[in-house]
Amino acid sequence: MMRPWQIRVGVAFVALAGLAATLGAEGKTRERPKRAVAMMRLPEAVTQPPPRSVMKVVPVDRGTRGEIREAASRIDGLLAGHWLEHGVSPSPPLADEAFVRRAYLELGGRIPTHDEVVAFLDSAAADKRGDLVDALLESPDYVSHFYNYWADILRLQERPDKHLVFEPYLHYVKEAIRTNKPYDAWAREMLTANGRLWENPAVGFQLRDEGMPLPYVDNTVRVFLGTQIGCAQCHDHPFDHWTQREFYELAAFTAGIQTRPGGNGQGKKQKRMPMQGAGELARAARDLQMANRDRSQRNKAAVAQYLRANVTSVAFADKKLLLPHDYQYDDAKPLAAVSPQVLWGEVPETATQADGREQFAAWIVSRDNRQFARTIANRLWKKLMGIGLVEPVDDFKEDNPASFPALLEHLTDEMLRLEFDLREFVRLVVSTEAYQRRAVLHDAMSAAPFRFTGPALTRMTSEQLWDSILTLVARNPWSVERPTTKEVAAVLDLDLRTASLTDVDRGLEAFASRYGKGPAKRRMMEICGYRGLELVRASELPTPLPLGHFLRQFGQSDRETIEGGRTVATVPQILAMFNGPITHAMLERGSVIYDEVTSHAPREAIDVVFLAVLSRRPSAEERALAVQEIMSAEDRATGCGNVIWALLNTREFLFIQ
Amino acid sequence: MRMRNTTDWLDERVARRAMFGRLARTTLGVTLLDGLGSSLAAAASGSKTAGMNLIILSMRGAMSHLDTFDPKPGREEQGETKPIQTKTPGVMFGEHLPRLAAQSDRLAVIRSMTTETGDHQQGQYVMRTAYPVLGSIRHPSLGSWALHVQGKASRELPGYVLVGNGNEHPGAGFLDPSVTPVPVADPELGLENTVRPAYLTEKNFNRRLALADKIDADFKRRYAGPQLEAYNQMYKDAVRLLGSVDLEAFDIAKESEQTRERYGSSTFGQGCLLARRLVEAGVRCVEVEYGKWDMHREIFEELPEAAGNLDAGMSALIADLEERGLLASTLVVLATEFGRTPRINENAGRDHHPAVFSCALAGAGVKGGAVFGASDERGHKPDKDAVSVPDFLSTVAAACGLPHDKEFMAPNGRPFKIGGGGKPIKAVLA
Repeated sequence: MMRPWQIRVGVAFVALAGLAATLGAEGKTRERPKRAVAMMRLPEAVTQPPPRSVMKVVPVDRGTRGEIREAASRIDGLLAGHWLEHGVSPSPPLADEAFVRRAYLELGGRIPTHDEVVAFLDSAAADKRGDLVDALLESPDYVSHFYNYWADILRLQERPDKHLVFEPYLHYVKEAIRTNKPYDAWAREMLTANGRLWENPAVGFQLRDEGMPLPYVDNTVRVFLGTQIGCAQCHDHPFDHWTQREFYELAAFTAGIQTRPGGNGQGKKQKRMPMQGAGELARAARDLQMANRDRSQRNKAAVAQYLRANVTSVAFADKKLLLPHDYQYDDAKPLAAVSPQVLWGEVPETATQADGREQFAAWIVSRDNRQFARTIANRLWKKLMGIGLVEPVDDFKEDNPASFPALLEHLTDEMLRLEFDLREFVRLVVSTEAYQRRAVLHDAMSAAPFRFTGPALTRMTSEQLWDSILTLVARNPWSVERPTTKEVAAVLDLDLRTASLTDVDRGLEAFASRYGKGPAKRRMMEICGYRGLELVRASELPTPLPLGHFLRQFGQSDRETIEGGRTVATVPQILAMFNGPITHAMLERGSVIYDEVTSHAPREAIDVVFLAVLSRRPSAEERALAVQEIMSAEDRATGCGNVIWALLNTREFLFIQ
Repeated sequence: MRMRNTTDWLDERVARRAMFGRLARTTLGVTLLDGLGSSLAAAASGSKTAGMNLIILSMRGAMSHLDTFDPKPGREEQGETKPIQTKTPGVMFGEHLPRLAAQSDRLAVIRSMTTETGDHQQGQYVMRTAYPVLGSIRHPSLGSWALHVQGKASRELPGYVLVGNGNEHPGAGFLDPSVTPVPVADPELGLENTVRPAYLTEKNFNRRLALADKIDADFKRRYAGPQLEAYNQMYKDAVRLLGSVDLEAFDIAKESEQTRERYGSSTFGQGCLLARRLVEAGVRCVEVEYGKWDMHREIFEELPEAAGNLDAGMSALIADLEERGLLASTLVVLATEFGRTPRINENAGRDHHPAVFSCALAGAGVKGGAVFGASDERGHKPDKDAVSVPDFLSTVAAACGLPHDKEFMAPNGRPFKIGGGGKPIKAVLA
């Protein structure tokens, strides 16, 4: 039951968002009210409590906590020696308030709610930090956040090409995180998968560079082995280790990846018919396309893409790779066939009889290939500590040594000991004292190496920022979720050998009305749209987003380049924080913070606002400032809104300390 | 209405002096400070100084030279793109550039560009900064250098606008964050969120800013450094911009239907139009990105649209600038990170080809009708007068009056030159 003051605050709050007239009505600074803004409502789907179980995440083993703690202290021991050696002292330990914020942001991708902060601060549990970490690691927030992390590395797009329907692959990546699939098995699965996207969505990894066998190898080595060999694609690079020959020798393993019926690039230059090649499927697709030749250009293009989506399938048959026609070095002739050769080490014995692609995958993920474990250990260390032991994380080479090699090797050992259980590795790093210290500054342009006396101060990623603001707005940030493989298959899968043109039309219609760009967007807007934005978690939004979207403004990757996300400051970001719709969504009735403020007594409102936005209580001075602001504002709600807005526009909000 | 702030987003000059001091502490050289001094003077006077304007058209993804500015008539490598005669005797372009061909007397085309890398990100970085990617430093882009040396021409408008994606852009590099480009995602939408919600009065807006500033004081002190400084600067710039009467410069809807059509309906064409409006209003440097060039597959299907949009946008830009008397003080640069293979691959596309490619210049400081350098008969390698990216960017610097010979000290104490110490091509400079 509402008390009168609550109603008053509530009503005034609405005024804040909607009614200009009451606010601009006094004093000399009065402005002519602009056109009255129609009261916007938050969509019902986001103001409801979230469904009981958004997704079931495999539980964390509480039994290994002691083991993790011991392992963490070994890392701390190494660091303590490192600090001593370099005459630096550690940053002070992180207070609970800062810890709860950091843990939610780094493991769950969002700030904690007011209630979550209070619950943690008030908890008297013996190992409440360990409890929080474990709970977060098995939450949907974790899956969503690490999906964003991998989406940036794997360049996840819904349509990397018109005929590549990637929703199943995107869902597959999310599933790999949800089920905590061991990283080596996961990588191997992607590197060797066969079939169509909805039959075996792991093929998405190979299809991401469809028709570009050399860039595929370049990207694969960057992602899994943290090594850049791409420059050697065209010529021996004067300052680089790798030769063009070595590049081709490695690429020879996977040259036989086929994605089109009848194979890729057999013989002469291919014509533009998307369904080249022999084979039953290709013929069936061609026949259907021929049958459709009198339709409009638009229809023909759509049908062609739909057919092509149905015939695109990954298969493998060993194929010779030739050196380029302009090969210019003395050790081989142009157009000479190269035999497959790994960059270092050797193909594991168990795989030497397998086909080239299997050999390539077996070599990459082998426990003997420490660079595979080292690369992911360094990546995750950076993810949590802000800076990699090797930077950039995909540029390992002799003249770019680790800042603390012994630690990197130790972390590599740990990754192997944990058998590529990435979540357990994350749990290990966040359990260190080093992680639970106050953030320290690092100037990327200074020559001095970072000593990890605490995590580096970082700006929230675009996704962390979006999901954090959403936390202040939406009780249910899961009103829309990525489609599953099954859902997509239901409208895409067609047996071309028996299908008629009518079947194609029907299938295309079903597919387009569900997953076509326009209809998909409209559907989302109907469920969770607010002034042109879909109020769902960043992981569930279309990808790549248009350049002007809030997430892109704050540096979300276009998903064209590996790890293309940035955290650089620009003016449009600030304008979006000032005047953009997402900032104002939180001041609408029914938003999380609106409800939190209105359900507490006015004298508690200031604490509530600070806890909800900055995850901490105000200092005495800040409380005085806020009281003064609220008392001197036109009305209490306006003052309260001003305080919320002000907190949101602090560097403290934007950066993770 | 113009915004005056009650907070300590104080007088620009005081703020800049503070910055001056910060940089002075971290740099040993004084040359950096010279630059800042002049930029201070320019900003303070608010006049449109003698400095040149710079418009860079960045063809991201690598523009095929054979299909645009360096066709090879009669060769198998030419593929399906037919060469056409330009206004300059003996010089041919690809068939998708008829309007630029008719304007060839305004263009200086360089056909012997060559670079080291076939990686898009690295290639774009080099083309924007003249330096290779290094882990330990971020180099300033050319536009940021221009702004740093010549100062802003408008007090409230930004000095540097990027029409496109800011993520991959080196921006201000090691220079002050105030010379960072302001990205505009979509020229049709211009700069978004510049209007306060109707319920938010100016007074309340300023109260909010003041309050945020006070609450943030501790955090800012604790973590004072370049990361926060960049955001502090952006907040200042955003507030200044919100008060500007010149914001209209971002609104291409103010142009006549006829003008808008002239530039072509593509995002790139409209971006060129926005560039012209901005330069006219006093924005020193505008970069317009066009990212459709990475044609590994079916290149001859992709070319008509991409090259057609380039042709419409760039030719309209040059003509429009000239009609408005701005071409003499504005340099238009057409750049791309590398070329594409003469050989057509099995997917009917062309792959990355850093060995040789083409770029072009028009306007201020440039000799029209010039063709410099040549590739060999297949378009495979430079045949004569190879031009490195630093040479090219030094030429650009020379054409807009930037001191390409001068050494500037970066905060890490290392010397850098605008254009990376390349040699300007005298033959294309007016």
